[in-house]
Amino acid sequence: MVYSLVKESHIMRILLVEDEKKVADIIVRGLKAERYAVDVCHDGESGWEAANTYDYDLIILDLMLPGLTGTEILEKVRRKNSLVPILILTARDGMGDKIKNFETGADDYLTKPFAFAELQVRIKALLRRGPVSRSSVLRVGDLEIDRLSQNVRRAGEKIELTAKEYSLLEYLATQPGRVFSRTMIIEHVWDQSFEGLTNIVDVYVRHLRAKVDDPFPAKLLRTVRGVGYSLTDGAQT
Amino acid sequence: MNTRSIQFRLVTWYAGLLAGIFLLLCALLYLNLRHFLENDLRDSQLRRAQRIADTLVLHIGQTGETTFASQVKELYEPEISGRYIRITRDDGVVLYVSGAPKDGSYNPADVPALPSSSAAEFSRKIKLPGGKTLLIAALNFRLPNHAAYLVECGYLLDPVETMLDHLFLQLALGLPMAVLVAAGGGYLLVRRALHPVEQITRKAEKITQHNLSERLPLTCTGDEIERLSHSLNRMIARLDDAFQNSKRFVADASHDLRTPLTILRGELENFADDPRFEPEMRDRVGSMLEEVVHLGKIVEQLFTLSRLDAGEAQTEWTRFDLSELTKTTAEQMSLLAEDKGIAISCDVGQSMPVKGNQVRLKQVVVNLLDNAIKYTQEKGAIHLRVLAINGHAVLEVEDNGAGIPPGALPHVFERFYRVDPARSADSESAGLGLSIVKSICTAHGGEVEAQSTVGKGSRFRVKLPLFSDDNLS
Repeated sequence: MVYSLVKESHIMRILLVEDEKKVADIIVRGLKAERYAVDVCHDGESGWEAANTYDYDLIILDLMLPGLTGTEILEKVRRKNSLVPILILTARDGMGDKIKNFETGADDYLTKPFAFAELQVRIKALLRRGPVSRSSVLRVGDLEIDRLSQNVRRAGEKIELTAKEYSLLEYLATQPGRVFSRTMIIEHVWDQSFEGLTNIVDVYVRHLRAKVDDPFPAKLLRTVRGVGYSLTDGAQT
Repeated sequence: MNTRSIQFRLVTWYAGLLAGIFLLLCALLYLNLRHFLENDLRDSQLRRAQRIADTLVLHIGQTGETTFASQVKELYEPEISGRYIRITRDDGVVLYVSGAPKDGSYNPADVPALPSSSAAEFSRKIKLPGGKTLLIAALNFRLPNHAAYLVECGYLLDPVETMLDHLFLQLALGLPMAVLVAAGGGYLLVRRALHPVEQITRKAEKITQHNLSERLPLTCTGDEIERLSHSLNRMIARLDDAFQNSKRFVADASHDLRTPLTILRGELENFADDPRFEPEMRDRVGSMLEEVVHLGKIVEQLFTLSRLDAGEAQTEWTRFDLSELTKTTAEQMSLLAEDKGIAISCDVGQSMPVKGNQVRLKQVVVNLLDNAIKYTQEKGAIHLRVLAINGHAVLEVEDNGAGIPPGALPHVFERFYRVDPARSADSESAGLGLSIVKSICTAHGGEVEAQSTVGKGSRFRVKLPLFSDDNLS
């Protein structure tokens, strides 16, 4: 994943507390590829010890842990007046849990099974860094998206898009090269009522492709089977 | 009226029994009284006959038969009192017969001669022309050295019969009234007795899967009703247990299914997007990923259902406009329909305020529309309608698709049910969409029903309580 370059010189340090070793491995592998420094703990006590000892830029917490639970660690960290961003990772998603953890001070919440891309997006958002562009004009190859006027041009030619098509394109363009899962797209462009209705994304991408890609030789919208869609400048296959 | 209800049967039995007993008592009373009155009349006639006989014995000995008649007339004045007296000698000569009574109630000439009898005393009831009955007591006696005589004394039965008729009328009127009053009292008593049952029923009615921890009221009377509420409470406790177990099971399954799914997905994603692998291989990995995502979706929907079972849709209620929600959702999904050449028409009129969990109710619209789009052939049509019927907000989703066979119709809201099992292989959904719709509707105090004709199309109708400021509380 060479496209998500770390711009700052400071290397971000992340603590991952996850008792499922295989899940931890995947996350660590992915995060290391993104050039984060990652410490892993497999149980609650050592997790709290690490969180208490070192200064992390982000803590990723599983809720169901041997020893201390994720919620207990969360409470301890917050009682210490630490403002470190905390992302909860769990297989439980009861409403009650969610509310309780947000009240205790979790910054974000991700339910298993998740797409790794989604974890990356949320980590980036929490660290407030990375190539999430905040400029008013997004550029991917010869595609230009003006976020203020919501005008889209390709090779200088204006492309008319519907509101939904525009939201979809803008979302994909915020992180060029990143593969967005259908679930992420639905949550961002539609809302959670459309959960499970992933074919709507396919239909919109097809319409978007007809307007943005079909008239041009270089294709920007890329489908990664089983994963999702991305917008790339054509340098990658 | 429900003729099989306990209340009705108890009261009917009670009133029936009571009516039977009353009837028997009245009949006894009537017959006894009749018997007594007639006997009394007969006895008094017989006593008179006896007295006449005594006089006869006295007079015939002294003055002979001829003066006797005037003696009787003088002594008894039968014409004034309406009595009938006849004295006959055994050779058939009538010594005396009373004249027509003063009130002219009968004609003595109508009284036939009594058939001869050897008995000393006997009585006869004689039907006179004109419908009247004369009760005659007769006495046979023989004077020493003289002939035998028959003394008959009679009196009309009319006063007795009039009295009995009055009694009969009073009983005939009084009996149904008494039974009616008793039945009314019985009804009130039965109602009172069944009141605790009513209370138990009302409370039991309110117990759903969401408040299984509640119990029925106990009457503490030591009777059947207390035993009933105890056993019902024990049954609810067992249900509660089973329900908690199944919820725990779902929560545990949640954790245990998701972790391996996370691992699978994470590992496969690494392959699928890794340019070092052959495109064909990445495509195969992608195919596996699609299945993992599908599996994840089923697990997700199952948990959505279990969260709904746990009462999630009863939280975060807001007031919103169902018409607006339907319109915007239809717009958001119109492209899905257009893709199949299906036209969606939306017939939403004025605003339709409802109260509920907006995210979940939107899911109802999404799932129903998605379903309609999925099962309508290309170039079909879907019609959405929002209207108010009897204080309910009604949402209708109608399509002209393949329709649902009548045998399958009652099952479409069941979990994992599929109308066409052959479709499960290529279809994306798990057969949970409509169950979710039903759960959400139930959680909002509403309902959903399906109508369908094979080859013509289906209509799903969601009914939700209409929100108005009156039922704010």
